[in-house]
Amino acid sequence: MPSKLQRHLARDFMKIFLRDRQSIFFSLFFPVVFMSIFAFVRGGQEPIPLGVANQSDSALAGALVDKLGEDAAFTVVSGDEAQLREQLIHGEQMLVLVVPAQFQAPSAGETAALRLLADTSQFNQLPLVEPMLEQKLMEIEREYRGGEAMFSLEIENVQALSQSYLDFLLPGLLAMMLMQLSVAGSGYNVVEFRRKGILKRLFVTPLQPRDFVAAIVAARLGIVMIQLTVLLAFALFVLRVNIIGNFAEFYLVALVASLVFLNIGFCIGSVARTQQAIMAIGNIVIFPQIVLSGVFYPIDAMPGFVQPLAQVLPLTFVVSGLRDIAVAGATLLEIVPSLIGMAVWFVIGFALATRMFVWKDVAV
Amino acid sequence: MEPIIRAVELVKRYPLPEDKSRSFAAVDGVCFEIFEREIYGILGPNGAGKTTTLEMLEGLNDIDGGSAFVAGIDVTRNPYRVKQLIGVQLQASEYFDKLNLIELLHLFGALYSRDIDAMELLARVDLTEKAKARPESLSGGQKQRFSIACALVNVPRILFLDEPTTGLDPQAKRRLWELAMELNKAGMTIVLTTHNMEEAEFLCGRIAIMDHGRIVAEDTPANLIRQHAPEPPAAPLHGNIEDVFIALTGHALRD
Repeated sequence: MPSKLQRHLARDFMKIFLRDRQSIFFSLFFPVVFMSIFAFVRGGQEPIPLGVANQSDSALAGALVDKLGEDAAFTVVSGDEAQLREQLIHGEQMLVLVVPAQFQAPSAGETAALRLLADTSQFNQLPLVEPMLEQKLMEIEREYRGGEAMFSLEIENVQALSQSYLDFLLPGLLAMMLMQLSVAGSGYNVVEFRRKGILKRLFVTPLQPRDFVAAIVAARLGIVMIQLTVLLAFALFVLRVNIIGNFAEFYLVALVASLVFLNIGFCIGSVARTQQAIMAIGNIVIFPQIVLSGVFYPIDAMPGFVQPLAQVLPLTFVVSGLRDIAVAGATLLEIVPSLIGMAVWFVIGFALATRMFVWKDVAV
Repeated sequence: MEPIIRAVELVKRYPLPEDKSRSFAAVDGVCFEIFEREIYGILGPNGAGKTTTLEMLEGLNDIDGGSAFVAGIDVTRNPYRVKQLIGVQLQASEYFDKLNLIELLHLFGALYSRDIDAMELLARVDLTEKAKARPESLSGGQKQRFSIACALVNVPRILFLDEPTTGLDPQAKRRLWELAMELNKAGMTIVLTTHNMEEAEFLCGRIAIMDHGRIVAEDTPANLIRQHAPEPPAAPLHGNIEDVFIALTGHALRD
């Protein structure tokens, strides 16, 4: 039960944060713009993740897969069909090309069948991607048989749980926003308070450091949850994004995530002496995670050598936890690995934050 | 009479900026006693160790050697009990810029678990009309008076003022002196640092002059002038505390 002092302080911090209209506006403005851009004008510029299940050991199948791998338009992820199909259902893949076991160079006049799995009702880029694939196949045909048709592409409609790429993206974006707001919310504030001499002034009163930290964390959590709700409402009602799982569980994971990142923010705030320094260190912590934690694309689609690192980043656990709930309707029990990952980062962050936050340093 | 503040051989060391492995003493064995209801001034050039000495008494800065007692309480052992008893106006401190004066005073009240009358406090420092203003809109003198109002929320027995009038115009300076006198008349012990000689002479019952981390002289202003003024003792007293200050700390510029 928070003490009267903690409640008073937390309320004042809330006031301070909420009265900073400009930063509240931008904290909401950017994610909203971001989501809208992805919802309305998602073009086919970037490489399209393509799952490939090669069941054939024929040379032709190998050549086909290599050709696809070389193409800058695709990011090829290899796997077996069952696994890739599962990922497709859970929104982690959008397209899966299956090369059947009996696939081999067809004799003249015949064609070999390839299957393309996709949720045709949702993958709105299919009309764009299909010709690109056909093009690839034709290149191979030209090499092998001087242009005579060799392959046929059968499209198999797989009903995916996810409704769209935006459904896949939303939990990632929200996780990213939680990270940015929380890291900024604790770290930047602490540096600002220290620089202005506010910390020093507070600590000539009998204020205990733990009351100060508890109040600032409580206030920030409150604000971040409000921001999350606004963005979620925008996504659900304006962009018509679907969330399949339980909302209470979604919020619980978001709350834990926010705590993890608040701790990390306190660590950064303790190291950085100036506003510029915290911007720099903050970016070092934030940007690699945005790129590597599967916010925009599944980690499986990344180069193999970064995957071990990507798998253990704090944001990765948050993204996968939130995404499993939102996209696949997972329960807390089913995302225990992600929760453990977050718990470990919480402990690490808390230990570092309490050790590094030099209270005497407030005098500097 | 038991002193309300006792500093015994206080030492504070900092690493040398040019060579972190060696240290220098910013405060180097400072001793003094301050009695209840005194206004005690610590004078010295910049870098003499005045603020550091004050911060050690306030529990803000670790004491590296010696000891400090405030109202009989050992500051090192029990900084939180000391902090309950003192009011502090820091050199140039700012406040949360999104709260107005009343909200800030209530916040400080909460830090001491006290219900306070914010308007009464503001009235004491002539800031009633600024109640709804935010600190960044205050002038220099108003800011300093507001700092004192914040320092008064816990009805302290001792008030520490660190260079309270630096940068203020003559009117604001006079007003602050009057305020300090009023508080002192009402029974508050005041410890202040300054490099304003006029201020030391006007306000302080006793003065300690610090240089290079040590106290080089301590007495009433009149006695110090008598001892250190340039004219022979037979002549009528002339010169001022500034003469004393220069005589004791030299002419070299400090910064």
